[in-house]
Amino acid sequence: MEKKTKFSVSEEKRRILLVEDDVINQEMLKESIGNVYELIIAETGEEALEIVRERFRTLSIILLDLNLPGVKGIEVLRRIKGDPAYAGLPVIVMTSDGEAEVECLTLGAVDFIPKPYPPSKVILARILRTVELYEDRDTIRWTERDHLTGLYNNDFFYHYADQLDLYHKDVPADAIVVDINHFHTVNDRYGKAYGDKVLKRIAENALRVINEIGGIACRCGPDTFLFYCPHRADHEDMLNKLSAKLEDDNPGENHVRLRMGVYSEVDKSLYVDRRFDRAKLAADSVKGNLANPIGFYDHSMHDAEVLEEQLIDDFPTAIKEKQFVVFYQPKFDVRGDEPVLISAEALVRWNHPELGMVSPGVFIPLFEKNGLIQTLDNYVWSETAAQIRDWKARFHVSVPVSVNVSRIDLFDPYLIDKLLDITEKNSLKTEELLLEITESAYTENAGVIVENVKQLRKLGFRIEMDDFGSGYSSLSMLSVLPIDALKLDMQFVRSAFRERKETRLLEAMIGLSHSFDVPTIAEGVETAEQVSALKAMGCDIIQGYYFSRPVPASEFERFVTEKQDNPVCA
Amino acid sequence: MLTIEKLKEYGADVEKGLSRCANNEALYLRLVRLCVGELSSCALGDALKAGDLEKAFDIAHKLKGGVSNLALTPLSAPILELTERLRAKTPENYEPLYNEIVKETAVLSALL
Repeated sequence: MEKKTKFSVSEEKRRILLVEDDVINQEMLKESIGNVYELIIAETGEEALEIVRERFRTLSIILLDLNLPGVKGIEVLRRIKGDPAYAGLPVIVMTSDGEAEVECLTLGAVDFIPKPYPPSKVILARILRTVELYEDRDTIRWTERDHLTGLYNNDFFYHYADQLDLYHKDVPADAIVVDINHFHTVNDRYGKAYGDKVLKRIAENALRVINEIGGIACRCGPDTFLFYCPHRADHEDMLNKLSAKLEDDNPGENHVRLRMGVYSEVDKSLYVDRRFDRAKLAADSVKGNLANPIGFYDHSMHDAEVLEEQLIDDFPTAIKEKQFVVFYQPKFDVRGDEPVLISAEALVRWNHPELGMVSPGVFIPLFEKNGLIQTLDNYVWSETAAQIRDWKARFHVSVPVSVNVSRIDLFDPYLIDKLLDITEKNSLKTEELLLEITESAYTENAGVIVENVKQLRKLGFRIEMDDFGSGYSSLSMLSVLPIDALKLDMQFVRSAFRERKETRLLEAMIGLSHSFDVPTIAEGVETAEQVSALKAMGCDIIQGYYFSRPVPASEFERFVTEKQDNPVCA
Repeated sequence: MLTIEKLKEYGADVEKGLSRCANNEALYLRLVRLCVGELSSCALGDALKAGDLEKAFDIAHKLKGGVSNLALTPLSAPILELTERLRAKTPENYEPLYNEIVKETAVLSALL
């Protein structure tokens, strides 16, 4: 026979507190239910209350006789139901007094066992049913609520929102998402206990708001709250109420700021979770915007959302059908008298069968968000390598081309294998495929990334640090980072020339880069004046519309043939 | 010796009484003996004599519970009546009713 473990809730006998002073009645009940339940007997009201105080967590039910010596049964019932800690305990009253029933029910008794008793099996069935109902109720209560804040969990919240729609289908409603800005830093700086306190206070405020305006609220994720409430115009007032007194322990300081996303007057034909996706988009649109912490979902967001979904859906086919086209923008060495083609940058375009040419500004951030960028990067590397090989075969000239390596690629354990595989398949030297790594990638998990980049350089790959000057650039990084060229951010270069004073910073950057023997590449250069100014500053390589916009491979071939015609300059 | 048959002859609704004891005859008989013991105690008579109606009610009420649950029918009616009269707490002559209980208890006691 299978041995049952004793350490099991389901195998444990449920405990019943029997409050009864008569031995005959005690014995009868023991015989009726003692095989199924463990009985704890109290013969007086005082004794019963003491047992409840000490053992309420392990009691499943209380059987209460009304006529007790000392504190009477009705008073015992009143005290149990009057204390929130014990009020949830089901109490079955045993009485021969029919008139006491109404009072007991009003006080919160769940059922009656009349005296004289019904047959044992009837008593057992009633108790079993009550215990079962209360355990189910408790299970629901535990699962429907977030334990920390007492607000609904999102599954139950969505369910109750559906219910609200059923009963109030003609009432316009708002789906609202409230997020805490940089909550993890609150936890990091002040500790989890403090963070929990803030969450509880938001929940208390949420309940007050809901009481006032109607609707329901839930905690969804560590620092996100959802509200589904009747439509209102004044969301600012709601946000103020939710933000009230979150930190009265630290007057004068303001660590915690909330932001709100509102999908106003929701389309009730949408699934509830989709409505909150929209509110979440609205909340994200004001991320970091302290001056205006409320975002509203509008049609442009909807259109962008639909477009994003379409692009994600179409991505696999696009890769399969080679809808992604690689364009090439030349980079010219300007150190000599005449600019000389030194390399190119591969830039991807999506020639979508329905949408036409889709801007990388639309799909790259999207694919960076959902990880598809890795597949796209791999695709671009392969296409580019094949193109370099093709030019080499047809024109006998090697034009190195730089490709983007996204941050996520740098965590791919097979990155090096993939790149070697691509260069080998296309009979390229590793230095012919240049790798552009964005500056911001170095600032996150720098250790891992620096190690990977060092490995790549050992194998002969050349690394260009992209977008330098766009983020939290640190010139000191140049002394430790393994890079072969520094690409100055396009916007940084453009704004430097718009506001004259900033060219000094540009010049300083180029100078410093030189002092570390790292050549500089300026992107986004548009005019002859900019070219000569950059040359004068000591910039080595220039890329931009001044020389050429990014062009398809076929158009780029004119640069390759020029290089072929001037092999001396190569 | 007390038996189920003797109790049936006495007029107890044995089936009902047993159904409340999960049909455990031994337990039922033990509880009847226990109940007779309580009925034979002088406590109720003493309280009535002393005019302590509250105490008398508590005792009567408790006896009523045992007698009813054990379905000792001949005793049920007088005990129920006494309990209800005592509940009202009006001073009256409870002796005839009490004597009836004593008499019925003696009959039951003879079966032990």
